[in-house]
Amino acid sequence: MMNLQRVIEDVQKGMIPAKLYSDPEIFAIERRRVFGHAWLFLAHESEIRDPGDYVVRRIVDDSFIVCRDEDGEVRVLFNMCLHRGMQVCRSEIGNTSHFRCPYHAWTYSNSGDLVGVPFHRDAYGGEEGLKKQGVGLLPAPRVATYAGLIFASLDANAPELSDYLGDFRFYLDFYLRHSEEGPEFRGPQRFRVNANWKIGAENFAGDTYHTPHTHASVADIDLFSATKARKRKEGALFFAGAGGGTTYKLPTANFRENLLHIGYPDGMINRMESIWSPEHHTMIGQAGFMPSAATLLPNLSFVHNWPIVNSEGLTTPFISVRLWQPVSATETEVLSWFVVDQNAPEWYKTSSYKAYIMCFGTSGMFEQDDVENWTSITAVSKGLMADRLNLNSRMGLKRDGSPVNEPIDWPAPGRAYQGFGEYNQRDLLGLWCDLMSKDDIEIPRISTLD
Amino acid sequence: MRLILDGRKTLSSVNERYGQVVDFLYHEAELLDSCRHREWLELLTDDITYQAPVRITTAHSLSDSALSDMDHFDEDGYSLQKRVERLETEHAWAEDPPSRTRRFVTNIRCWLGDSPEELLTRCNLLLFRSRGDIGPADLLSAQRTDLLRDEGGSLRLARREILLDESVLRTQNLAVFL
Repeated sequence: MMNLQRVIEDVQKGMIPAKLYSDPEIFAIERRRVFGHAWLFLAHESEIRDPGDYVVRRIVDDSFIVCRDEDGEVRVLFNMCLHRGMQVCRSEIGNTSHFRCPYHAWTYSNSGDLVGVPFHRDAYGGEEGLKKQGVGLLPAPRVATYAGLIFASLDANAPELSDYLGDFRFYLDFYLRHSEEGPEFRGPQRFRVNANWKIGAENFAGDTYHTPHTHASVADIDLFSATKARKRKEGALFFAGAGGGTTYKLPTANFRENLLHIGYPDGMINRMESIWSPEHHTMIGQAGFMPSAATLLPNLSFVHNWPIVNSEGLTTPFISVRLWQPVSATETEVLSWFVVDQNAPEWYKTSSYKAYIMCFGTSGMFEQDDVENWTSITAVSKGLMADRLNLNSRMGLKRDGSPVNEPIDWPAPGRAYQGFGEYNQRDLLGLWCDLMSKDDIEIPRISTLD
Repeated sequence: MRLILDGRKTLSSVNERYGQVVDFLYHEAELLDSCRHREWLELLTDDITYQAPVRITTAHSLSDSALSDMDHFDEDGYSLQKRVERLETEHAWAEDPPSRTRRFVTNIRCWLGDSPEELLTRCNLLLFRSRGDIGPADLLSAQRTDLLRDEGGSLRLARREILLDESVLRTQNLAVFL
């Protein structure tokens, strides 16, 4: 029998029970307490630009239609017919004014309203029997957007999204706000890996220590040389609000020089310069830190790297957003998007896309080796011996709890350390502990009869 | 750009050039199954393009069931060369130890290309991939449409379009070539 309190206490000490990565009991609690309360990413507004556009996405086992209704409003609708529970939408992307259930043809508008019930009068006695007015597909309890990211929470009492994100919004702006019009999201590539969802989330939040070894091959072939240990160690690790991430140290103290160095063209830099805050300028310029990977609680990650994309040695950056969507304690569906500013020149979009495909996603030369680690950890954490082991996630802390290095003077929101350390993984799992410590609350069932 | 087969002259399976295509595809499969990647690269033309679009589930028809702007592979000579170089390092953990793979190439059909040097071929591919000793083996099913070009008396692959049959891949990565 699992003692959750004991697990949480160990995690808070930075000693991680190995079974955190495969135990079905822990996952059953995560489903309710983490995924039942947190703000969860579903889609980006650029994926549903026009009225009627929709994508179908999941929150663990729940299928949601994320669509733009005829009035242009974003809706997140539980994909289950009110009548017999059939999924009303079974394609994953499209454009439609209505969703009609294949079973008995109950029909809903793309704002979710129930607008058609066959033989409504004859079979149900009209409105007196089955109320259509004001009835519709269940909306996600809370929906909100930031920088075009559409989030939902299954907790009607969740804090405001902006409060939940907190200062992590500064880093979302870095990844996603390169012009007034914002980015386009392409994809996602989707693949299932036999790994617990938290391993990827922790890795992207702060694991610069794995880069020199796990990703040695990309430096070996001169695809991306910044991964070498000496370089990687100079990076800073930031944590702010609901997430944290990693950076690389760049060679100059000049904002434009550093962005040019990693391959951004002048036109894009001009737009970044005008849209970003003074703290962005200082972080990238004077301080010389360029964000790379990051994670937002619980399962949304970001990555920004700048490999060499052709035989002439052209360096081009790319950004990917990825969701670690749990399937079970030991299986995760990875959704990986390529993200590029809408106003970027076409040559840049092509080159950046190439950089993404080479590095991340299903065939990415970084991602391949990450997943090999994560599936192996998950597999080996299932056994009785693993049950006895607390994994050491205390890098950066001495045994008495004092830090190996003090936080650095950081010109951007949140706190930061320079060098290797597992500060961010501990902070992320600390937030996970807060969610896991919530009491389960009874949620009344919704009835269309009322 | 997609390879167009409609309206092209079909080559019968008793045609000698059809036989050359079959020989090419079987030889290629054997090279990949035996991790002879460097030799595989030599089968590619310098202007190779190698693409595998992401499949999606859409209503009504299969004709629009691949994303036009997202791929699993979108490769040229440079990136394929880098992928092979990577596999040759001592740090390509995704394939170290290597998977045991077997490529089953079937349903081969051939068409004449735009020039006498070019042939088009379409086949079904079933890739069996077994890693380590824990998880179940993976199966990847795909249709491949290839443009082959005769260069100095031997066929080389100039373009490959891979239409995978899964919208969500069940293999943990595409560290193997299709």
